[in-house]
Amino acid sequence: MKVQVRKIDSVSILDCSGDVDLYSSPDLREKLLGEMKSGAPNVLINMSGVTYIDSSGIATLVEGLQLSREKKTHFGLFGLRTNARSVLELARLHKVFALFENEKDALEKISSVQPFGGL
Amino acid sequence: MRIVISSHPKLLNILRGVVRYRAQEAGFPESDVDWLTMAIDEAATNVIRHGYKNSHEGKIALSIQAFPDRMEFILEDSAPKVSPEAVKPRPLEEIRPGGLGTFFIHSFMDSCCFDEHFDAGNRLIMVKYLPRKVSSDDESTSQKN
Repeated sequence: MKVQVRKIDSVSILDCSGDVDLYSSPDLREKLLGEMKSGAPNVLINMSGVTYIDSSGIATLVEGLQLSREKKTHFGLFGLRTNARSVLELARLHKVFALFENEKDALEKISSVQPFGGL
Repeated sequence: MRIVISSHPKLLNILRGVVRYRAQEAGFPESDVDWLTMAIDEAATNVIRHGYKNSHEGKIALSIQAFPDRMEFILEDSAPKVSPEAVKPRPLEEIRPGGLGTFFIHSFMDSCCFDEHFDAGNRLIMVKYLPRKVSSDDESTSQKN
């Protein structure tokens, strides 16, 4: 798995690709929480390259959501493939996270995301 | 077939690759292959995290048997005995990190239980039945109804 962080204006985007599992999720966690703790007001994860996500990857996303609530910042995911979306749906988390179809949509709406995660 | 790996998370992708290949070979539809792969991955993840407490020194053995109607997966480790109560799925209403692995296993497998008679560690037996194929007899029966 690879995670690269880039910025567009006030939005931090984590481009994530490959399998997110017990081995790789600590790297995503470090970069995601690090970005949030450094004071980023808007954080998005680009999930379009994520080929697999397990419960440890989902736990990392939930940690990000909780921290964004604490800090009253905006957090969302975009570009989920069918399998990742199905995992979130099975765990009934698809309505908890702010999910966007693509980067353009996410950049337009991220600042409308409420601290509880939804739109 | 039987595959043995060290309890290193880096090796989970090997386990996933084997399960995926065997599930496809057994005739599971692609969406089921994804869930099956995930269920076994979650079971092995639980062994690494909760059984071996993230030590890489343990061994995890996965035996896979394909039958005409089902696949059986037997996951063995030599970690201290796990109480089945300790790995029960948690309520989904609780939005918190962790605790979803067992939920995913139980959601997809048709049966999942520990072998209480296995003394050398833990043996988790998981079974998934193949989707029933609709035969021409079934079709003619449903047309009559």
